[in-house]
Amino acid sequence: MSEGRPTRRTVLAGALGTGVALGAASLLSGCGSAASDDRLRVAFAGGGSRENLDPHVVLNYVDQARAKACFDTLSCWSEDMGAVPRLAESWEVDPTGTRWRIHLRDARFHDGRPLTPDDVLYTFRRIADPATGATAAKLFTTVDLTASRALGPRDVEVVLTAPNFLFPLAWAAPGAEIVPRGTTSFERPVGTGPFRWVSFSPGGPALYSANPDHWGGAPPSRELEFVPVDEEQGRVGALLSGQVAYAFDLRASSAVSLGTDSRAKVLSAPGSASQFLYLRVDRPPFVDPRLREAVRLGLDRQALVRVVLLGKGQVGNDLFGQGAQYYDTAPPQVTRDVEQATALVAQAGATGSRIELQTSTADPIYQAAAGVIAQQLGEIGLQVVPRTLPPDSYYATIRSQGVSSVSSVGSLPLPDYIGRRMVSSATARNFTGYRDPQIDALSAAAVATPNEADRVASYSRAQELIRASSGMLVWAAADMHVGIAADLGGVEVARPNTDRWARFDRARLG
Amino acid sequence: MTTTAPAPGTVDRPRTLPRRLVGRVAVAAGQLVAVSVIVFALTAALPGDTAEVVLGQQATPEQVAALRAQLGLDRPVLLRFADWVGGVLTGDPGRSLVTGVPVADELAGRLASTASVAGLALLVIVPVALAAGVTAGRRPGSVTDRVITAVATAGQAIPEFASGLVLVAVFAVTLGWLPATAGGGSFTGPAVLVLPVVVLALNQVGRLARQIRIGVVETERAEYVVHLRRLGMGERTLLLRHVLPGALPPTVQQLARVVDGLLGGVVVVEALFALPGVGAGFVEAVQGRDLPLVQGYALLFATTTVVVNLLADLVSDRLAPHREALR
Repeated sequence: MSEGRPTRRTVLAGALGTGVALGAASLLSGCGSAASDDRLRVAFAGGGSRENLDPHVVLNYVDQARAKACFDTLSCWSEDMGAVPRLAESWEVDPTGTRWRIHLRDARFHDGRPLTPDDVLYTFRRIADPATGATAAKLFTTVDLTASRALGPRDVEVVLTAPNFLFPLAWAAPGAEIVPRGTTSFERPVGTGPFRWVSFSPGGPALYSANPDHWGGAPPSRELEFVPVDEEQGRVGALLSGQVAYAFDLRASSAVSLGTDSRAKVLSAPGSASQFLYLRVDRPPFVDPRLREAVRLGLDRQALVRVVLLGKGQVGNDLFGQGAQYYDTAPPQVTRDVEQATALVAQAGATGSRIELQTSTADPIYQAAAGVIAQQLGEIGLQVVPRTLPPDSYYATIRSQGVSSVSSVGSLPLPDYIGRRMVSSATARNFTGYRDPQIDALSAAAVATPNEADRVASYSRAQELIRASSGMLVWAAADMHVGIAADLGGVEVARPNTDRWARFDRARLG
Repeated sequence: MTTTAPAPGTVDRPRTLPRRLVGRVAVAAGQLVAVSVIVFALTAALPGDTAEVVLGQQATPEQVAALRAQLGLDRPVLLRFADWVGGVLTGDPGRSLVTGVPVADELAGRLASTASVAGLALLVIVPVALAAGVTAGRRPGSVTDRVITAVATAGQAIPEFASGLVLVAVFAVTLGWLPATAGGGSFTGPAVLVLPVVVLALNQVGRLARQIRIGVVETERAEYVVHLRRLGMGERTLLLRHVLPGALPPTVQQLARVVDGLLGGVVVVEALFALPGVGAGFVEAVQGRDLPLVQGYALLFATTTVVVNLLADLVSDRLAPHREALR
């Protein structure tokens, strides 16, 4: 054997040594600081490495929950989607609906600075600036920042370029949190919220400590940690194993199984996510209203709720916003009529037509819903074929391609839904190609009138039009499920986006 | 096609180890180029792009178009690929389109977590597979052999996702002995790694054990082993000095495939246990259509596979003492 060549023995020894070294390094790198027990841990699906703590860009529920911990909004949405005070202690509007006088609460930012009118005006300016890419930008485009001004240390007058008697609803929207004047970076965010930022890594955990000086009182929990767990089963496992005390957005099947587990409780918020079947009204075959009506009559909504939602939801009536203010309860509940639906399909010359139904894993409900819908519409003579699309580009795809799709919309005030999604300018979320100038006019009239009865009439008429012609069929309003540890108190059943949702400053362990 | 016989008096010399190494490295380089082209083409062919993913559901087409132009996504695909290749060749694989973080930093930040899980899994797999494979191989057809083979096959057959859910249900949820999730780095320490390592090992240990068993069975039947046993050589000496060395070369090749399998399994395991490793990062990069990052991960995985297989070839070569003579 020549010198210098590795022998079989040295190769084996080398491999063994490398393995041991790797293992030792692995063990060491796996070690870290022990998790503190005096910490409220809450699990959400994360947003990945593109996350940041800018409270004006909130793409996911976890972004909203983190923003809510560190910041406050001027108002909040109540459970029926009205506006209730938060940083704005009170407000009044002039008869024209264009001048809003807001009296601010005596609150301080985490760095000790008092909340001032300048902070409010800076926030509105930043949200409205297209460069920010703010989630709520459209709600603040009518703010006249030149004319708006401070009236005193805690009073601000906001002037609008168009009347809006529902402007306080905009202050409560996700992504409308008040930030200190001049803030351009949120790497170390400072807010007025009940928790102070401690640490955060995009796609990783976010840690906050209780703000003892919060205007609402110090939170019972000393620390709050957001734990990113994308897999729903992972969140359930983390809850039941005691790793987290709160697990957001559970499937109906998990809600059912957790209901019998003494270690956890399930909070199910009714009517939290309207489930849609979208039909493109600007493309064949659903450009034909007879076919849209056939699909409306062909859906068995009760069966969809029973099978897809396991009964955890309310049957839809092709209108968004069950349980919310201005929701139109007048139309009779649509029921299945296979005979008439089949006849309409035949009249439209579509019997046996193959129709692609776009669906996705973006939401666990979508694929199951698409399967059941395809089966139901098969009974009226349509050959509906579900097609699963990648989740991350799903909404962009269904906006530009296809003829039908399934989707959902979370809790929003009806004026917000119509004003931001149904009007002609709302191109980003137009999934059916529906445009009607009457909706624009009705939406503008509804917010411009001080008369509540007129407003109700405008919104009822808008819903009537949407229901008749938009191609948006709401087959259910699904419950949103949150699992909490059995010993976690202070957390209430609440729809996402509302005041009481993710209110961790009231949560108490033990 | 014609073949030419060696000229009288000349010897058909086998290629030396360095020459073979050069050849293998050249092939490996070609494989890496092929992988990068295929991955780039497939990712570019996916519906949607980074601009749509970053801006989310509410973005207007105008906003998407603006970001697309800002990120250079409106340029021809071939031009972008050429830029990327140029960057790689000059040591700069670019930056993430989503976060702006250099690709090398992104990969390095996640590598420690994956190395921990995969490395520990290997430390479990090798001795367990060795013990099981040798035990089964020395008594082929026995009850022990059949049990080990059945368990090994079952371990291979159960996908990581399924075994992970079951193990979490038993050891985290029911018994409460182990953590159910790493929570994206919220929970640290050795206990967090136990279930991910076991899930990975369960799937791969059977693969290696079966190969070791085959090697041991074949070596046990070799004439020289039968002869040595007949001469009265002790079983321990026979095993350590003759049977195992004879069974090892094909096992090393299988070990390389196990490492490949670990790289695939780690994507599932990291998603299941919310571990912030390269597997989870790769999935996120694909979901975000983050081409430079996808390319970076693909090259990392491909390089690991190529290097591991190359090493396996070299080690096998070294462990087979008669290979040169047989040529």
